[in-house]
Amino acid sequence: MIIGEQKPLDEIMSLLGNARRVLVAGCGTCVTVCFAGGEKEAAILASALRMRSKLEGHPMEVDEITVQRQCEWEYIDPLADRLRDYDVVLSLACGIGVQAMNERFPETITLPGLNTTFLGLPEEHGVWEERCQACGDCILGITFGICPIARCSKQLLNGPCGGSQNGVCEVNKDIPCAWQLIWERAIQFNQEERLLEVQPPKNWARSRDGGPRKIVREDLRLGEGE
Amino acid sequence: MAEEFEPKILAFCCHYCAYAAADLAGVMRLKYPPAIRIVEIPCSGRVEVGEILRAFEHGADGVMVAG
Repeated sequence: MIIGEQKPLDEIMSLLGNARRVLVAGCGTCVTVCFAGGEKEAAILASALRMRSKLEGHPMEVDEITVQRQCEWEYIDPLADRLRDYDVVLSLACGIGVQAMNERFPETITLPGLNTTFLGLPEEHGVWEERCQACGDCILGITFGICPIARCSKQLLNGPCGGSQNGVCEVNKDIPCAWQLIWERAIQFNQEERLLEVQPPKNWARSRDGGPRKIVREDLRLGEGE
Repeated sequence: MAEEFEPKILAFCCHYCAYAAADLAGVMRLKYPPAIRIVEIPCSGRVEVGEILRAFEHGADGVMVAG
């Protein structure tokens, strides 16, 4: 899922500037599960903004609402009428949700209340780790289910490098060496020889290097009037 | 002379312990300041951050969660 982290209150206050009527918009999907921008967090932030603006002598009118998903038109369309009552929307969705709101409701400014950080999973309660970089050309099938693009600090396709010490990355002792993990998996399945094959340079054109990406599925598209 | 500051405290009290203790305090005729307002809750684990913030927003000077 998409992992996000709430921006510091000072930054949010500065983004809001002179706005007097603010709608904090939570998202009920990924950012709810990572406790960054769901219904609860929206209520807490709205309360914090009301108190902070009051203490600073220019109280804001802050309400909150949470939709199931801010990244799909059908979930945000019902907000249309409500947005007229506010100067600004502060979205607690990921960057996709913030952009969806700005795109769908161009007459209202939607600001980000979160930093969208990575695609990952909760390793344990309260700890999230990156697992995928959406590179567009998955190699998990040749790396025994462990992604060196997301988890190796150097994104090596042939590893480990000389900086791997006792299974730990030289970049930070809290980063397990992805290539050590890959080799351990290969040994577990007695398939080490598969890792001896040198991998050619990756086709990064399928990642961000090819510009913004788009998938078109003609079989799913609706024709005009459908 | 300025009036002495008497903080308004909102106390979220667990039905099974802290609220029962407050009840017992009453039975024993023990006094506590009238500015303490008790909200009985089924369990202190029920209290959410949002509720504590709402108490501050509505003028509480302090919030106590007892359970």
